Amino acid sequence: MKAALALSLARASLWHRRKVLALVCLTLTLSVTLLLGIQYLRTEVKQSFTNTISDTDLIIGARSGQLNLLLYTVFHIGNATNNIRWSTFKQLEQDERIDWLIPISLGDSYKGYRVVATDERMLTHFRYGQGHALAMAEGQWFDGVFDVVAGASVAKSLNHRIGDHIVLSHGGGRTSFSNHDQTPFTVTGILEPTGTPVDQAVYISLDGMEAMHIGWSSGVAIPGRTLTPEQAEERTFTPDAITAAFAGLDRKILTFRVQRQINESTAEPLSAILPGVALSELWRLMGQFERALLGITGFVVITSLIGLVAVLLTLQAQRAHEIAVLRAIGASPALIAALYVIECVLLALVASALALVLGAGVILALSPWLLAEYGLYIPLRPLDHTEWLMLAAVPAAALLVALLPALSTWRQSRSLGLGDTGEK
Amino acid sequence: MPSGSRTTAPALTVSDLHFRWSADQPSLSFPDIRLAAGEHLFIHGPSGSGKSTFLSLLAGMLSPESGTIHMLGNDIHKARAGDRDRFRADHIGVIFQQFNLVPYLTAETNVTLPCRLSDSRRDATHPNPMAEAHRLLTALTIPEDHWHRKVTELSIGQQQRVAAARALIGSPELVLADEPTSALDTDNRDRFLDLLLTLAEERNTSVLFVSHDRTLAPHFHHQIELDGGVR
Repeated sequence: MKAALALSLARASLWHRRKVLALVCLTLTLSVTLLLGIQYLRTEVKQSFTNTISDTDLIIGARSGQLNLLLYTVFHIGNATNNIRWSTFKQLEQDERIDWLIPISLGDSYKGYRVVATDERMLTHFRYGQGHALAMAEGQWFDGVFDVVAGASVAKSLNHRIGDHIVLSHGGGRTSFSNHDQTPFTVTGILEPTGTPVDQAVYISLDGMEAMHIGWSSGVAIPGRTLTPEQAEERTFTPDAITAAFAGLDRKILTFRVQRQINESTAEPLSAILPGVALSELWRLMGQFERALLGITGFVVITSLIGLVAVLLTLQAQRAHEIAVLRAIGASPALIAALYVIECVLLALVASALALVLGAGVILALSPWLLAEYGLYIPLRPLDHTEWLMLAAVPAAALLVALLPALSTWRQSRSLGLGDTGEK
Repeated sequence: MPSGSRTTAPALTVSDLHFRWSADQPSLSFPDIRLAAGEHLFIHGPSGSGKSTFLSLLAGMLSPESGTIHMLGNDIHKARAGDRDRFRADHIGVIFQQFNLVPYLTAETNVTLPCRLSDSRRDATHPNPMAEAHRLLTALTIPEDHWHRKVTELSIGQQQRVAAARALIGSPELVLADEPTSALDTDNRDRFLDLLLTLAEERNTSVLFVSHDRTLAPHFHHQIELDGGVR
């Protein structure tokens, strides 16, 4: 068989039919883009998810299940069952196995976003992704009692600038009826986007949290007993309790021992969890969703293959004369079958290449928007092993489906007479 | 009964040829032929007389029920299907009534196509297939600016002449022509026939020309009748 001839005929034939094939190629390109995109997104979302918190060895909170503790401390979902006494936190600080601690105090909200009360240790020790620290996009970390630092998404969606005065709400929820009107906060800084729930919260000092709750009882402000900002500046505050703490250990090997000790603490019922373990348990729970995506991916492949076969069969009907001519001048049935296979594979290769370009373009174009709007960090990266295999499967599958028209043409052209198109 | 009575070895010998499409259909029988190299044969046959079947048998694309076809000393139906395809590529040029050309190739690439399928026909061109194609296209009065065009942009008459050039390139021993002039008007038909036969003679190529139009017969050395052949 003449491979060079088959290749050049296939190329000329594809080019000749480019107007029809452009549409097919577009369909194939879009479905391959979708296939690859879903796989890419799956990998990235999982990556993004497991990168929500890093370098934190233990999360310590009131006694509860590990998922609950993970959800309310890291993902700002749900509520704490109880608090940790400040004295207990002070004791933990004395523990020399613990390198650093970040206290966090939750409970209030700002227009649906969580208010996280913490201190400067959040800025120095908190890590996400591949060990990234928090960074200020504008302004500075809070210093005064009524200073607030906004997460990137909060600042973006509510259009906050440095110096804005904002009023926090008591309790969670988007529309709270009890606001801390007497103690407005001033935005002193805005965080860089992280693509994690950190973007979806505002950060105040533990002092600020205490100060705005003075004079409050059972969720209502008692008139005349709340502080004015001026009074607050003159006082010092000591919190009674915090919600949870992130901890980093000096020696990672001690993690389980410290965890066990905290869990068995008799002074106060506490739970310490390993964030990595809790995250993977949470991801397993969401595996249902991942499997659904995988199913959709499968259907996308099947759909595009059916489209491919349909087009090949349509082309076959159009090509009876051309095949009669090629047979008459001595082309073997194998050469003619090879034409189909080569054309189909070339088409798939073009579609795959276009899908790569299109996919990269879409990711580049949407990546900043996804991060800003949804806090989803989808960077452009080289394809991984699985994705390359998936992409390679497209021309391979095209080769397989091309065998269908190729074999039927091969069989037919063996039995047809000179100049016979088989259309009688 | 025509016979190549010259001293050269016959280009084609057909004897006692029978064909049956399927077991329940009548057997077709075809006249015996003995054609010397370079001689032209006119085969007259009305439609339905089995012309296409006869040419398919000669081209090695159908197998006879009985009888033999010797072409250039080879019994072509003793060969395997792949060898028959190669034999056709090497030794036979074909012209149909219409749809002769590969639509996505230019006129000149259509003409050189046999040289890409057959090494012997490529080697028979001087100095190369493209030069030979240009010479044939010029002889067949295809304007030079049409050579690089898609064949679908050519007139029917031009398409048939391009097909003739393709059949003649690389000087095959035999050209099978199946009603190649029936889509042409009288002027075009006569010009086509003249050019085809003249160029074939230059190359010592035998032309087997099948037509229902008996007025063409005088252009040929011999003529035979296909009578439907049902026995």
